[in-house]
Amino acid sequence: MKKNLIGRIAGVLAGTAVIAASITGCGSSADGETANAATVTAQGTEAASTAAETESSEATASDSSKVYRTLDEIKESGTINIGVFSDKSPFGYVDENGNYAGYDVYFAERIGKDLGVDINYVSTEAANRIEYLQTGKVDIILANFTVTDERAQEVDFALPYMNVALGVISPADKVIKNLEDVSADDQIIVISGTTAETYLEKNYPDIKLQKYDAYAEAKTALENGNAAGWANDNTEVIAFSIENEGFTVGIPSLGDADTIAPAVTKGNESLLNWLNDEIKTLGEEKFFHADYEETLLDTYGADYEDTLVVEGGKVE
Amino acid sequence: MDVEVIKTYLPLYNEAILLTVRLGWFGILAAFGIGLLGSVIQYFRIPVLRKIAAVYIEVFRNTPLLVQLFFIYFALPKIGIKISAESCGILGLGLIGGAYMTETLRSGLESIDKIQHESALSLGMTKRQVFFYIILPQAFSVSIPGIVANLIFLLKETSVFSTISLMDLMFTSKDLIGMYAKTIECLFLLVIYYLIMLLPVSVLGTIIERRARYAQFGD
Repeated sequence: MKKNLIGRIAGVLAGTAVIAASITGCGSSADGETANAATVTAQGTEAASTAAETESSEATASDSSKVYRTLDEIKESGTINIGVFSDKSPFGYVDENGNYAGYDVYFAERIGKDLGVDINYVSTEAANRIEYLQTGKVDIILANFTVTDERAQEVDFALPYMNVALGVISPADKVIKNLEDVSADDQIIVISGTTAETYLEKNYPDIKLQKYDAYAEAKTALENGNAAGWANDNTEVIAFSIENEGFTVGIPSLGDADTIAPAVTKGNESLLNWLNDEIKTLGEEKFFHADYEETLLDTYGADYEDTLVVEGGKVE
Repeated sequence: MDVEVIKTYLPLYNEAILLTVRLGWFGILAAFGIGLLGSVIQYFRIPVLRKIAAVYIEVFRNTPLLVQLFFIYFALPKIGIKISAESCGILGLGLIGGAYMTETLRSGLESIDKIQHESALSLGMTKRQVFFYIILPQAFSVSIPGIVANLIFLLKETSVFSTISLMDLMFTSKDLIGMYAKTIECLFLLVIYYLIMLLPVSVLGTIIERRARYAQFGD
């Protein structure tokens, strides 16, 4: 009996070792392309150049192990996979008829049309946008993806199509005007994997964060009064304050002004170049203004049009 | 794999495993309490209560924990019942676990032959004595494999806690991956920490099972 138990434990440990070994092994091979980029995230721009060098030398050597699909491959297959939000109204959401809609989706539809392929929408959460690109599950992420240095080391961003900054919304009877005023007992809601989360972790490490997976849950939590406020892209919190009475955007702009851009898998140059050309061409016909008027006007009114829209990839 | 990265993440994972184990422990205690009560109600066929227990079991066994947590955490506050995220996690585990435990313990109780009950009564034991000294210990030892399976199931179910903003092991990993994209390191730590948490339960279960069996049947 005793021997039996020891045997079982040994068996389980051996099993663990196999799992561990396979993960490590898979790490070293799959990591090849991104290893340098991944290990130096904290050091910022300096690292980016070394990462880029490795990238170009690797690209020729390991062409067979690429996870992404080139422009030609996408056209040939007849379908493009685009990752969008399904719960971030009015940018990417599923409407009452079950169809994807919103500012991002309007752009995605145009991409599909101009490429001459069908679109397969893949619903993403904020935290898995990079993963989806790195594993080749989607060709493009069009999910309100804010451009940051850290992310630019993991994926390739095309030209921007929207401006964004961070904002903080709070109940109207207890408005947060300054993050210094957040007491030690209060929590701020953030969504896992967003720029708001990274910004607060870095700049306000003392503020307790209440993290959620998805927009729908974060919004319900705010409505239920589970936290003192919610920090997110200002577009998002402004939209929320317009749609829900009793909430005020006490801090409309926080941190640096950022841009939002489509992203593709690192190294997917053919698709990236096509996207950049597309965005430039669309600028001539004022496509993103039309997009705004179609999808965002109801929520934000005309006042925000020039603040939010970036046309032809040129930030003013 | 970057060992330095793993080192910096270790404190976060330690915090996460403590949270999981703490909530898991209270949740399991609650589940066991509910299960014992429910199975006794079912075993003695207590009128009315028996119907209530049956409805409870069907509702909680046939809805996922995720749905139950959503309901407790997001819907109840709308009608004025507000529960903290941690209590909500414990309550959810207790309720779903209770339903499973009830069925496991009931099957144990019913596996003990009626003749034992009758024999003990004929020896002059009271009904109460018969239940606590004859039926329950045997039923318990029969149920142990099922109970251990339930314990492991409950601890694994904690991985849906992310939906109510609890930083359990799963959510900590997803969160770190979302922020810093160190996928391999995070997933490696995730597997290891779940094993650290669950292997002892599994081994302990085997030992307890053997001891209980010994009490019942000899070696």
